[in-house]
Amino acid sequence: MTINESIASVRKSFRADLDSFPSDLREVELLRSKYFGRKGLLADLYKLLAGLSLEEKPKSGQAINALKSKLQIEFDEKVTLVNGDSQDADEKSLDLTLPGFPITNGSIHPLQQTLDEIKRIFKSVGFKVAYGPEIEDDYHNFEALNIPKHHPARDMQDTFFVEDDVVLRTHTSNVQIHLMEEQEPPLRFIVPGRVYRNEAVSYKSYCLFHQIEGLYVDKNVSMADLKGILDYFVKRFFGEGTSMRFRPSFFPFTEPSAEVDIWDKKRGKWMEILGCGMVDPNVFDNVGYDSSIWHGYAFGMGIERMTMLKYGIDDIRLFYQNDVRFLEQF
Amino acid sequence: MRVSIPWLKTFVDIKQSAAELADILTMLGLEAEMPESASFSGIIVGKVLKADKHPNADRLSLCTVSDGKEEYQVVCGAPNVAAEQIIPFAKVGAILGEDFKIKKTKIRGEVSLGMICSERELGLSDEHEGIMVLNEHAKIGSNFEDYLNSNFDYLEIDLTPNRPDCMSHVGVAREISVKTGQEMMFTHAEKRHCKKNEVDDILSVKIDDKNCCPRYVAGVVKNIKVGPSPDWMRDLLESAGQRSINNIVDISNYILLEMGHPTHIFDYDKVPSHTIGIRKAKKGECVTTLDEEKRKLTDQLVITDGKKPIAIAGVMGGLDSAVTDTTSTVLIESAYFDPITIRRGAKSLGMSTEASKRFERGADPKGVENAYWRVVDLLEEFAGGEWVPGMIDEYPKKFIQNAITLTREKIDILSGCEFSDTFITDTLSKLEIDVKNDGKNKWTCIPPSFRPDLEREVDLIEECCRVYGYDKIHSSFHYGGLYDLAEVDPEDVLSHISNTMSGLGFRQCYLNSLTDEKTAGLIGNNSVSMKNPLSASLSHLRTSLFPGLLQTVNYNIRNGNANVNLFEIGKEYNSGKEYGEVYHLTGVLHGEWLNKSVHNSERHQSIHSLKGILEALFIRLNVNAFNFAKIEHDHYDFGLSISLGKIVIGNCGKMKKSLLHNLDVDMDEIYGFDIELKPITEEMQFVKKYASIIPYPKVDRDMNFVLDQHIDTGDVTKAMKNTNSKILISVKPVDIFQHESLGENKKSVTFHLEFQSAVKTLEEAEINSAMNDITAIITKHFDAKLRD
Repeated sequence: MTINESIASVRKSFRADLDSFPSDLREVELLRSKYFGRKGLLADLYKLLAGLSLEEKPKSGQAINALKSKLQIEFDEKVTLVNGDSQDADEKSLDLTLPGFPITNGSIHPLQQTLDEIKRIFKSVGFKVAYGPEIEDDYHNFEALNIPKHHPARDMQDTFFVEDDVVLRTHTSNVQIHLMEEQEPPLRFIVPGRVYRNEAVSYKSYCLFHQIEGLYVDKNVSMADLKGILDYFVKRFFGEGTSMRFRPSFFPFTEPSAEVDIWDKKRGKWMEILGCGMVDPNVFDNVGYDSSIWHGYAFGMGIERMTMLKYGIDDIRLFYQNDVRFLEQF
Repeated sequence: MRVSIPWLKTFVDIKQSAAELADILTMLGLEAEMPESASFSGIIVGKVLKADKHPNADRLSLCTVSDGKEEYQVVCGAPNVAAEQIIPFAKVGAILGEDFKIKKTKIRGEVSLGMICSERELGLSDEHEGIMVLNEHAKIGSNFEDYLNSNFDYLEIDLTPNRPDCMSHVGVAREISVKTGQEMMFTHAEKRHCKKNEVDDILSVKIDDKNCCPRYVAGVVKNIKVGPSPDWMRDLLESAGQRSINNIVDISNYILLEMGHPTHIFDYDKVPSHTIGIRKAKKGECVTTLDEEKRKLTDQLVITDGKKPIAIAGVMGGLDSAVTDTTSTVLIESAYFDPITIRRGAKSLGMSTEASKRFERGADPKGVENAYWRVVDLLEEFAGGEWVPGMIDEYPKKFIQNAITLTREKIDILSGCEFSDTFITDTLSKLEIDVKNDGKNKWTCIPPSFRPDLEREVDLIEECCRVYGYDKIHSSFHYGGLYDLAEVDPEDVLSHISNTMSGLGFRQCYLNSLTDEKTAGLIGNNSVSMKNPLSASLSHLRTSLFPGLLQTVNYNIRNGNANVNLFEIGKEYNSGKEYGEVYHLTGVLHGEWLNKSVHNSERHQSIHSLKGILEALFIRLNVNAFNFAKIEHDHYDFGLSISLGKIVIGNCGKMKKSLLHNLDVDMDEIYGFDIELKPITEEMQFVKKYASIIPYPKVDRDMNFVLDQHIDTGDVTKAMKNTNSKILISVKPVDIFQHESLGENKKSVTFHLEFQSAVKTLEEAEINSAMNDITAIITKHFDAKLRD
């Protein structure tokens, strides 16, 4: 058999196999190696080149190359057709309007997204992030924050007790105390974390939620600085056109204290978003900072509340129900 | 607290609208809101003519209600309905709330032509204990909306606990006056003088514990007549949300709401010892309070008749010594009790009253006397009483108000404003602080006795700031980075892990970390429990993230959400020597990992889809030294441990049916994994070293072995990797084939091997030699046969 006859024979055999193309994947692979494998028919053709003259070699080589690429294309098309299930051969033209493959989507919980966004905003202006324990002693959660036992301010936060003097923290402010006990001023931190309140579960309150605390301590720190950072934060988080209101309030661990509202256009009223104030000198005394030298501000906001306001969510329980129909919207 | 605007206007001129007033107060730190103006359709002021028991139902009443023209039969379920009451009446056709239309109905066989409404049904408050009873002067048949708008001229103030002085109309009016500049029109009742303190002859007061009761003022008024209060007093009380009872009780309530000081009026004749003692209760003592509850006492502060308790000091009076219709002589109590004592006492009894709220926040020790004179004046004027000259004033612990120094330096730093000297002096004076400015940037201030919250310099700075207006403080912004080499955010990595999980098709969950005792004991132990749980189902901190996630799968499937792949990054809690809070990454899979589509058939989740996900996760997190090993595990039907190097960091597998059953989960095919995060995040810290890209070609080979069915492919793969071949860079099984032609219980496994050298192009002979070594080892160790 001449080389050309050999080539023709391979082509013929391939055509026949193509006509009775198997549907079983395993047999397809066998067929593939019959032609394209290391010991396949095409490889055999190349071996024949060795016995040819220098003149014949390039010409025949090209012929085999051409055959190989042609067969490869035909084989691949056939494979695609077979894998494409029951599609009729007439429909083999590419239908670009078909949907893509059904890739499974994941999602990031809206609370995590809000947390990440708030962290990003404060990190961009030089705040670091610190964390602390949820199971906390009474001293760090209350006493050191100027909330003595039997003080009416304790009513502001219904508390879960683990022991007589161990609680599930009611706010992230406990970390203020840990930070100041461990480090010398100046300080610039935000503290996110889970906090607990012994309150009946309803659409507006849950037995736990997440807070972000801010603490800034330096020598010259004023209410104007506090207002400045919150103004910046509110505009970045809620948008530049957001109106903010800063009004007096009371927290045992800040003096003066303030609450911040933003104007909710939809509801037509002010919505409270966070509490803040200048660190109370008693708190500085408790951690051994000299309150005649050091001043500071602190603020705390609820991540759930911020998320609800931002996306118009009206029931806090949705965050903990984890209904896919809720999660997939974020 | 409800503050009546007409009442405020008796103390200070108010030109502003209610809305403007609410705004002024809010910006002063007294968060005020207007009652929501409601509009009603078809609701009128009606009168209950008759209220009899429903013939067929014990808890229902059959009432006759008049609208001034006609009478209607109405069935009412409220316990407080009674004849003669003026009530909001929803006639047939009226609409309540959004779309609740009142229709003619039959209730237990009786026709009902309308409804008598509670405050909640009207959307006015959450009050639903009974129907709303209106002022008896209300015009029957008039529109309820008009009644409401004329009678509900008030603001709701949400007071912070530091401002007991504002728990009164005088206190709130003072704040308004300071801000608006309108003068206060209030003077205390005049102190009376008498030649002889006659009251000493008929009453004695003995304080046992001067720390708990630093001051007790008492006196007697005789020949009083119990009756209705004057209209103006009833109107003011009602506008502040206080119902009128009788002139004596009303006077005490009136003074409470007017000047904020709680007083108590006893029936003098029911304290036959004519002695008042103030001491701690003894264990086992009891007193029945005005609300007709018998209170068992422990160590609360009580008022006694010298022997037994007749009232719980600062909380509530006793029933036995209370004023009744036949009372003719009264004993007036006006005292200052220690805040902590009253708070502990009230809390221990589960009580909170108008009096206790004021005492525990700090009453005015000097207001004690003012309140006494006010009671005497009003009793004489409106109850026909006759004062027994004199006043007993036991004052064993004198109140001392310390002077506070305010410096220019501190106020400038903290406020960030530059207040003028005049502004500071004026503001503090208007707040009734005794101020002396020495002209050298220093103010010496003595706060009034009704401001227990003013103790330090910062407290005075806050006063200046809030009167100045927080809205006028400018905003200053000057932020740059701190020079600090420490980690900016140690938990940043958790967001990275979440994002990776999301990319792998998982939805992130946030789950309640409180659970019940049984669930907390299912997986893990040493759970942390609450001493005062909200409910039995939320009594313990979770010991595993699994239960919540599995129940969330269940919830979602029940609600028609297919293919639920969920994860959470959260803490598990335990109690040992110390409390532990350990971050875990836990995930669950149920359903298909690839849905059926026009392109493909569906693929079910399996232990291998789970394994693939975890492999992808670790590689993306730059954690390469992970491996899996088969384990027996309590909560998996079959499972694998996950190790990092030699440390086991977690596990995965098919969740055990019994566990799912215990958690009330319906599905039985759920796969799960649980990994402790700390080892992972520590591993992630290591900086990867770059390995140069090898320029020499890779050579692929397949090897096919026939093995006993029971041999784990993983073991064979491992054995291949463990041959000392330096050129074998990867092995993985790519095909498993079972056929009877292979022999009984045999399988054929095709392995795909890659060979490469870092220093040269491999020659056929080297590859063949490596493959021969592999064949030798595998055939020997696994009794395998190489298939050609």
